[in-house]
Amino acid sequence: MKITQIAGFLGCGKTTFLLKLSQVLASDNERKIALVVNEIGEIPVDGKIMEESGMQVKDIGGGCICCEVASTFAKTLTQLYKSYKPDHVLVEPTGVAVPHQVKLAARMGGRDAKISLGPAIVLFDATRPAELLDMDMLGQLVTTQLKDADIIAISKVDAVEEGAIGDSAERIRKYNSKADIVNLSSFKDLGIDVLAEHIIDWKE
Amino acid sequence: MDTENNTDPGCYTEHGVTGYGVAAKLSRQEAMDSAFVQAMAKEMMMFIAEKCMHSGAKCIGHIKCHIRTEGGTIKADTIGVGHGTYSTGKLDHAVKDLYIAINSIIQGIKEDAVQSATLDGLHEVAEGRGVAVVKEKEHSYFDEFDFVASKQEYIKQLEKQLSEDE
Repeated sequence: MKITQIAGFLGCGKTTFLLKLSQVLASDNERKIALVVNEIGEIPVDGKIMEESGMQVKDIGGGCICCEVASTFAKTLTQLYKSYKPDHVLVEPTGVAVPHQVKLAARMGGRDAKISLGPAIVLFDATRPAELLDMDMLGQLVTTQLKDADIIAISKVDAVEEGAIGDSAERIRKYNSKADIVNLSSFKDLGIDVLAEHIIDWKE
Repeated sequence: MDTENNTDPGCYTEHGVTGYGVAAKLSRQEAMDSAFVQAMAKEMMMFIAEKCMHSGAKCIGHIKCHIRTEGGTIKADTIGVGHGTYSTGKLDHAVKDLYIAINSIIQGIKEDAVQSATLDGLHEVAEGRGVAVVKEKEHSYFDEFDFVASKQEYIKQLEKQLSEDE
């Protein structure tokens, strides 16, 4: 059971991407996919949107899985392993979660389940790079998310000019020189197949 | 849903992010079609975003809503006043009742200000369009909801949750 997180700041397009990605991964009927979604707004709106897509979905509310409810997250992974045995679990943390802490929490689930960790894919919203990185408090969080990424997907590239995508990539590189950078548009189906291949081929 | 928590503060609270969620049943004597519901949902999202910014918010994380009706589902969201609103979904027929859940995640203002903006957005926009807020409840509604249930059954489930603690 490979655990892959789709992280990134609030509003960067994680839910839309996750729905598309799960369909691509499940498309040949060779893989069982489960989704774990975590929201801090108390009402798990995103989880219900995903559930309507017919996927196996677990909602975790009441806090953030990278800190407050990390143990609940670990138990959820164990339960999924025992009851559903998915090949891939795609995890959408809250938009303010710290990816390396989510990885640590996922490893806790590995005590009672045979799991491996997939890449931490962090989405970066091409429509508001300055708004995200230049904010005094949240800027630190966004840069931490970028630093923790194994793969960075510049999202919503269909909504900006080519130059703006390059600007985002240049800003990202200041914080993470190693991660692969992929251009992503969930609406135009751009980059989804590439990211699915990354997940399938990923080795810890 | 497993609700076991520990007492550590959240990563988001360290960054001044607060969230508020509310669910409500809305009704109008005249049936509401897709265009009407989408326009109302988008107006609510923008109203809440603007009110939060006027209250001193530094950033809109996201404001989302999910509307269930016997005719289908409509969603709307915004990530900021300057970014506009976005909506998907449709109703296959006009409806008199709908069930809405709203999540507002905002940075830079306290939860009571987020709550106030969210509830004002719900009431002022709905009532301004002749839609009554029949019932509302914080932090509930979707937790135990079964989307595989029949349309009649899901309405029973929603009504039951909104009636609890009354």
